[in-house]
Order: sequence, then C-alpha cells, then structure tokens
Amino acid sequence: MTALAPSVVGAPRAMKPRAVSSTRQKAKADAVPKLRYIVVLLAGIFAILGGQLLLSIAVSGGAYEIASLKTDLRGSQQQQQIVGEEISALVAPDTLATLAGSMGMVPDNNPAYIRVSDGAVVGEAIPAEATASGQIFAVTAGTESVVAPEIVEDVFLTISTATALEADATDVLAPPTADLGTPQTAEPTASTVAVAEAPAPRFGGSIPSPVTR
Amino acid sequence: MAHQRISSRRMGIALLVVFLMAGLLVSRLVDVQVVRAAELQEQSAEIRTTSEVIWASRGSIVDSFGNDLATDVDRYDVSADPRRVGDFRRDGETVTVMAAMAEIALITGANADELLYAVNSNPEAHFTYLVKGVSPEDRQVLRELRNPWLQMDLVRERTYPFGPVTANLTGMLGRDEPLAGVERKYDPCLRAINGTATYQKGADGIRLPGTTQLVEEPIHGGDVKLTIDSDLQWYVLQTLAEHGSRLGAQYGSAMVVRVDDGHVLAAADWPTFDPNDFSESPVEFMGARSFSSPYEPGSIMKSVGIAMLIDGGYTYSEDKIVAPGFYEVYPGRFIKNFLVADDRQLTTAGVLHTSSNTGISVLADRMPKAEATNYFREFGFGEVTGIDFLGESSGQVLPVDQVDVVTRYNQFFGQGISVTAAQMASSYQTLANDGVRVPLRLVDGCLTNEGEFVPEPLAEPVQVVSASAAQQTVRMMETIVSQGPLRNTLEIPGYRVAAKTGTAEIATSTGYGDDRVISLAGMAPAEDPEYVVLVSFYKPQTSRVSTAAAPAFHEILSHVLKHYRVAPSSEPAILPPLTW
Repeated sequence: MTALAPSVVGAPRAMKPRAVSSTRQKAKADAVPKLRYIVVLLAGIFAILGGQLLLSIAVSGGAYEIASLKTDLRGSQQQQQIVGEEISALVAPDTLATLAGSMGMVPDNNPAYIRVSDGAVVGEAIPAEATASGQIFAVTAGTESVVAPEIVEDVFLTISTATALEADATDVLAPPTADLGTPQTAEPTASTVAVAEAPAPRFGGSIPSPVTR
Repeated sequence: MAHQRISSRRMGIALLVVFLMAGLLVSRLVDVQVVRAAELQEQSAEIRTTSEVIWASRGSIVDSFGNDLATDVDRYDVSADPRRVGDFRRDGETVTVMAAMAEIALITGANADELLYAVNSNPEAHFTYLVKGVSPEDRQVLRELRNPWLQMDLVRERTYPFGPVTANLTGMLGRDEPLAGVERKYDPCLRAINGTATYQKGADGIRLPGTTQLVEEPIHGGDVKLTIDSDLQWYVLQTLAEHGSRLGAQYGSAMVVRVDDGHVLAAADWPTFDPNDFSESPVEFMGARSFSSPYEPGSIMKSVGIAMLIDGGYTYSEDKIVAPGFYEVYPGRFIKNFLVADDRQLTTAGVLHTSSNTGISVLADRMPKAEATNYFREFGFGEVTGIDFLGESSGQVLPVDQVDVVTRYNQFFGQGISVTAAQMASSYQTLANDGVRVPLRLVDGCLTNEGEFVPEPLAEPVQVVSASAAQQTVRMMETIVSQGPLRNTLEIPGYRVAAKTGTAEIATSTGYGDDRVISLAGMAPAEDPEYVVLVSFYKPQTSRVSTAAAPAFHEILSHVLKHYRVAPSSEPAILPPLTW
C-alpha cells in the first residue's frame, strides 16, 4: 500500500518535466483518431454514394428489362391475336363449307340413327345424291358471285404440301415390290416369309374400339 | 497611406460589384424559383413527360358456343411526314421513294400510285395517311423494310370474323359509335374506355423508372352472348339466298326458335351486308327485317285463329261445318276462297287443312271481336317481342272499337293485322309449347369485365291457350304436311312435321295489289315439338303462291333436325278427319 502511494503521487510529478513537449506529441496522438474518423466518415459517404449509384443502375437496368419484357408481352399478345384471327377464319362456316365441298362432300338432310339399346335403325337412311350441290351463295346485297375466303387458299396450299410430303414418305416406306416378285416365282416358301415380315397394319387391322364385357 | 486609400476604394468598388452581381443573381433566383416557378416546372415536365393511351378493348359479341361474331383486334395506321419522305440507304443501297412505295404496296395490297400521290400532293404537309388498318403480321414485314420515314400507329379495330352471317343482328360500329343492332343496344355492356398514363423518358426513349403515372385506368368492355348458333344461321342464310334469288324475291327472312325456352337459334335476313365493309351497302338491307318490318301475314295466322277458337270453346278438331263458296259479311260484301267457289263440308281440321277463308269466317263469327283482340294481344301481337330488338316494330292489332265488320273475320286469316316475322315465330312457339308463350330471347347476357355473367332478365311465360287447344291445332297442321298437296315437298322421312302455309297480299295505298309475301311456319317433331321454323319471302316474282316457300322451309327444318340430333318420331300420328 505504502509502496504504491509514492508511485501514484509521483507519477504526475514524473510526467511534469515532459509536459511542455507532450502537448505537440499529444496533438499528434490525437490526430490519429481524428484522421481515422475522417477516413471512416469519407469511406462511409462514398460507400453510401456508391451503393446508391449501384442501386440506381440496378433500378434502371430493371427499367430496361421491364421495357423489353413489355415489348415481348405485346409481341406475344399480338401473336396470339394473329393465331386467333386465323382460327376464326378457319372455323367460319363459309370456310368449312368451301373446304367440305372441295373434298367432294355434299349436304344430306336425311340422317338415320342406330339406337344403341337394341341396335334398331331409327329414321330412314336415304343417301345424298352425288349431284347435290354444295354451292355457296352470295348473301350480301348487290353481290353476284361469292369470293372464297382468303384462308381457303392457304389451307389448300398446306394440304397439297402435306400430301406431297406424305407421298414421299410412303414411297420410302413402301416394300420393294420388284424384289418381292422374284422370290415368289422362284421359291414359294420365300413368299410366306415376305408376308410375315410385311409391316402389320396400324391399329391391328380393324377399327379401334374399346373392349367391353 | 495613399496606397491604403486606393486599396480601400478598390475594395469598395469590388464589394459594390460583388453586391450588384449577388443582387442580380438573387433577383434572378427569386424570379426563377418563385415568380415563374410554376410555369417553368410545367415546361420542363412537358419536355420530359410523354403521355400514352392505354387501349381498352371493346367487348366481343359471341354466339351461343362462344365463337366471336364481333371482336376488337390490333391494327396499324401507316402514315408518313411528306416533308421527310425521300430516298434512303439500306444495306449500302439507295432505296428510291418510288421503290419504297412499291414495297409498301406489295405488303399491304395498297396501290403504289395512290401512295405516291398521298405524299406528293401536298409535300409541305406534316402528316399523311398511307394505309389504314394494317394487320400486325404485315406491320412486322413493314418494319423489316427499315424505312426511316414510315410511321406506324397502333389502333383498335372492330372485326366481324364471320362477315355477313350475323350482320343483321350484331349491327356494326361506325367511326366513333355503334350504328345498329346489338352493338348499339348493348353498348353499355360492350363499351370500353381507354386509359391514359404519363411517364418521363430519358434521351434514349426508355422510360425513367418510377415516373409512370396512371392518369386514367383503362376499362375493358364486357362480352355480349347471343343465343344464336352461327353455323345454323349460316345455313339458314344460304338457303334464303338460294331460294330467294330463284324466286326473284325482294328479300327473305327466316327464324329458328327453340320451343322450350324461346331461344332464337337463327334469325337471318337476306340480302344482308358485310359489317367489315358496309360503306357501299344499300341502307335498306342493313337492318334485321325479321324484327323491323311488319306485314300482313296471311293464312299462317289461321293456325293461331283456330287455337283461339278451340281455347274459347267455340269449336274442336272434328267439329262439322259447312264452308260456303262465298261468305256474305253484309249484303254485297263477300269473303271468298283461293280457287274454291262451292260449298264444302269440312271439319275444323279441314278448314285449316284447306286454308278455307270462308270456313274460318264461319268459326270466327262465333267469337266476340273483343275476345279475339284479347287473344291476339296475348299471343304477343301488337307489342315488341321479349327481345326488344333495336328498332323492332310492334306491328299493329287494331283496338276493338276500330275492328270493323270485315276486319273482324279478316284478322283470322291474317289481314287487317300486321305482324313481324319474329312475332309470328313467337306465336308458333306458343302453339308448339302446349299454349305457353315463352318470350323470345336473342341475348343471353353480358359477361362483364370482372368476369361476372349478368343474364338478361327472363320474361314470364304466358299461358295463352290451353295445352289441348295447342295440341289439337298442331295435329291439324300435321295433316297439311302428311296429306296435303305439298306432301312431297314438305315431308321429312322419319319425322312428323306440322306446318302452315301463307300467301299474304301486300296492302298498297289503293288496296291489295299483285305482290305477295309467301311464308311457311311449322314445327317438328309434331308429337312433342322441339323447334319452330318460319320462312318468308317478300314479293317473289317467279311464283306467288306459298308453295314456293316450301322447299326452303323443308331444307331448313330438316337441317335443324339433323343439326340438333333430334330423335326421329316413334309414335304414329292420329290425325283428325278433314271432311264429313
């Protein structure tokens, strides 16, 4: 305790001689935290500014994305509309009648029905006359002849292209008839093999129907 | 010391200058920030801010299956600023104005010369339309031309995908407002209100984030759903066109009504118009005559008259009467028959079967005229149908005190009373439906923008005549199809059909002329009618008797039976005797 007291009392005394010079030193020592403070403050400000900048870049980047997505959306909506208009044109009665007529279909207003419960034919089944006209008449005032709907030509074009493709496809798939001919005459057994290898008809060769018990 | 004085004077001057400048700046500041602040701010906002129209879609009109009969689509109006039109370079090549116009013409189907004229006729103009209503597909191709002076603006346009098929019912849209039909009457449901929004945009045209302001919300229109079956309507219209032109008729109308609920499945008027392009259509063919044109219906009214007489207890199917060759209304005034001049012993069924004017006059004499007028009104004549179509005529049933001694009889065979095709179809619906008139229905309801379906109010059915009276009348009408002279034309194999013909004289200012309205109304299957069909042709030239309308009626009715898969009749008909 006594040993401690002088050192406690003596401490300021011991410092005293250095007191004058220490003011400069003290200022120097004080400057370090001040500088730190300024640096932190500035860094903070710059960090905030930088962050804000990044944020605003992100936001405006988002705006660009929104703009482009909106354009996409508009495009898709219009695509939907284009397709919708096409469907409307296809389901229009005029179009259907024109297409049916072009396939050689004729109207028949004498249907008959099969009653499922006893298999009886109800009504009188009278086949349509092949000469029955599927003619389409102009219905607007002052119009003499009917103009086929525009879409009909597109359909014809699609059908003819599809038929051409299909024809090509069947040609490729058709069994080589010339090759089949020769073994048939030369060796009867070969023909049975050829028949066995012939592709099975689709749907098992009959009208597909559900099996019921 | 002198040096100091000079320096302080300089100082004073400098200060003065500084103060002056500061004062100037302050006054400017006050001017800008306070005095003209509002005005300047407005100017700046105007420069940065763009406003845009947010298009709202007008609702569609759809048929009973939901097919669009009228709908809004995107289209583009192609325009140019004639001052800027000139040759331009594309992929290192010069595209002349002429070539550019040829390209546009090729894509849009416009005339290149007209396009050139549009820009050359007034080179100082700021704006000229080149092509209007370009489809989005074509617009895409036009964009690929990279033509710097081509301007394309989005517009909404009304299209009618099925063209003329339901034009008489939908009506059409004019430049700014609906002109007729459902488009006009149901405008409150269909109408859309475009919205507006403002936003600020940067130099690159991209909108600045967070600046978009919705000024007015766009309000899309609701859809109107009709009871029409457009496939059937097409067929009916085709049949009218085929037979109408063959007969040289001025016009024709036909209706198909479902008996149970009075739904109008088809209501066609021929000739009609194309609502997509009606600028050159004759105005008289732009409406729905089935609703708007009343006429004296002639003998198809006899079925109604007979049902009234049976219901009133004045006669019955087998009632024996003598139909005179001439029925004397008062001395010197006779009612006569078509072609028949001798007395005949007919039953009431026979009166309807042979369409005897004198026979029905004998029966009509038994009913007081006030009672008859009442019945006619109960059947719905003299007032608009439940549809209340825009511009619908109520026809005319004379007030009792104006029914003179001749009209009293004439009304029973369709003279002195005027009706619309819709009213006539409605009266046959009543006969087919055991005497209960279910008011006709054309509009099912409005599907609002919020997805709520608001049905049109259902009108109360009216029991006009007893079920027995209605059924007896239908039996009598069956004899016309199965035993009458029109049997070969009217019979539909497998089905029992009931029908009545009518040839009405058209009243002119000098009495009845040579022109006729021929019509046929009927129903099938007769044992429990499901559908009513009415066909009429106005002023046919090649044949003026009602039999001429029979083929069209037959085609439509047999199509209806097939179209709706009506089961063929299984009960044999027990029909009343026609003579005694």
